Amino acid sequence: MKLREYLKDRLWFFLIAAISLGLMLLFLTAYRVSVQLTATICVIFGLFLIAEETAGFFRKKRFYDDMQGKLDGLDKKYLIHEMLKRPDFLDGQIMYDGFCIANKSMCENVSAYKRTADDFREFIEMWVHEIKLPVASLQLMAHNHSDELGEKFQEQLRRIDGYTDQVLYYARSENAEKDYIIKETPLKRTVANVALKNRESAQLCGASIETEGLDLSVMTDGKWLEFMLGQLMANSLKYTVEGREPVISISAEELPDRVLLHFRDNGTGISEADLPRIFEKSFTGENGRAYAKSTGMGLYIVKSLCDRLGHIITAASEKGEYTEFTIAFAKNQFYKMV
Amino acid sequence: MSRIYIVEDDRSIREELAELLRNSGYEAEFLTDFANSRAEVLGAKADLILMDINIPNLNGEQLLKEIRKETDTPVIMVTSRTSETDEVLSMSYGADDYITKPYNPTILLLRISAVLKRAAATVSVQTYNGLQVNDAKGSLSDGSREMTLTKNEMIIFRFMLDRKGSIVTRDELMTALWDNDEFVNDNALTVNISRLRSKLAELGCEDAIETRKKQGYILR
Repeated sequence: MKLREYLKDRLWFFLIAAISLGLMLLFLTAYRVSVQLTATICVIFGLFLIAEETAGFFRKKRFYDDMQGKLDGLDKKYLIHEMLKRPDFLDGQIMYDGFCIANKSMCENVSAYKRTADDFREFIEMWVHEIKLPVASLQLMAHNHSDELGEKFQEQLRRIDGYTDQVLYYARSENAEKDYIIKETPLKRTVANVALKNRESAQLCGASIETEGLDLSVMTDGKWLEFMLGQLMANSLKYTVEGREPVISISAEELPDRVLLHFRDNGTGISEADLPRIFEKSFTGENGRAYAKSTGMGLYIVKSLCDRLGHIITAASEKGEYTEFTIAFAKNQFYKMV
Repeated sequence: MSRIYIVEDDRSIREELAELLRNSGYEAEFLTDFANSRAEVLGAKADLILMDINIPNLNGEQLLKEIRKETDTPVIMVTSRTSETDEVLSMSYGADDYITKPYNPTILLLRISAVLKRAAATVSVQTYNGLQVNDAKGSLSDGSREMTLTKNEMIIFRFMLDRKGSIVTRDELMTALWDNDEFVNDNALTVNISRLRSKLAELGCEDAIETRKKQGYILR
């Protein structure tokens, strides 16, 4: 709070003080009061004015400077009233009480939304588990009564399963609570599960999968990693180059402080302009426009899951040549000891 | 014949599952009254139990815990819950495997036979037409000669041997290979089968593998 601004704010008060001083001088002269007395009265009046304004200024300055300083330093600015002491001047007190009421109402509002969001997420999680039952049932039926249609049904059921998984993991990635377990997960088993799940689609486009150095274990949630690799594999099998046999190579590499998992294909690749944006929500880019049915959600979900688990995912690509995703897992000696 | 007991509250799934198992040469039974699941499951005297987690009364994990107090019967958890927590919990309560729904039926059958084999803990030397099958060495021998099979050929041969006399589809063979981390493509399977054929022929088993057009293969 600057003195000049404060004085400007108090302009009306000074105007009224000046008018009353003028009137007083007028009457004092009219009653022929001696000049000395008039001067004394003026000095007392002036001193009173200065003393009153100085005290008022510093009282408010202390409070408001404190508030501004704390606001600047505060990460969650809506918590400001928790940091302040109730001021000792009336307008400040009124404002402070207002803050508290507004904040309480906001907290209630936010928690109502949070409850709604939580309920919704819980429902989605439950719904996904429910929908898997008829899918499982249909898959068994398709297998038991397998004729030519059986295989086609299986393919469609796998698609349904893939989309429901996306919903499940989207809900999980947006959830603030910790619903994953980080433990030592062998890469070999995880990759094998992903490959098995995508075997039919891989064979449909004649793709082969090469693996190297997957005898390592990483600290992660196995189920989440399976989903992430599944998304990458689905992309690799979707964006293939006509007339070139698709090859997906998955390899792991151990560095002193982390393990890198490389996931590389020889598909259409991603153009340089699109590459920095592929992890954005709903971003489809050139490839998305060229191929139907891109939602722009797959990689976004993968990225959010990585962020939540503390892994770092990066992408490198050359248009028409290859795409390579690398996931870096931190190594934690502490876990190994336990 | 192994008896498999199904604990699953979805009627459609358990009936299809029973059919799948019966078609694959197992004896299958299922639980219908969940009020007394513990006693029913224990009374069934099964060789293997397939168990869902979301079941009425005691849930699958609690039921598993109860069963483990009494018997070592292999249990495979089959559930629609895809979370690491459930898997870790199930395994720590003593489940032998954990499969999430929806599953590929062929994979389920592979896992069942793997778990049953582990439980039986028989020495895995089998014979086929007088040939000794040695899993550890990955070889076949007729006493005088020994023929080494590659890993892929061994997986294919074992799978067919387990289903001797009935049709094995290419799809099932592929699943078996991929389940063993051998991510081969269609052409490689054809090559592996013809190599296996000629190796068997060298050991005196001509025409051991018969091709059924559009259906698959039969090991005679």
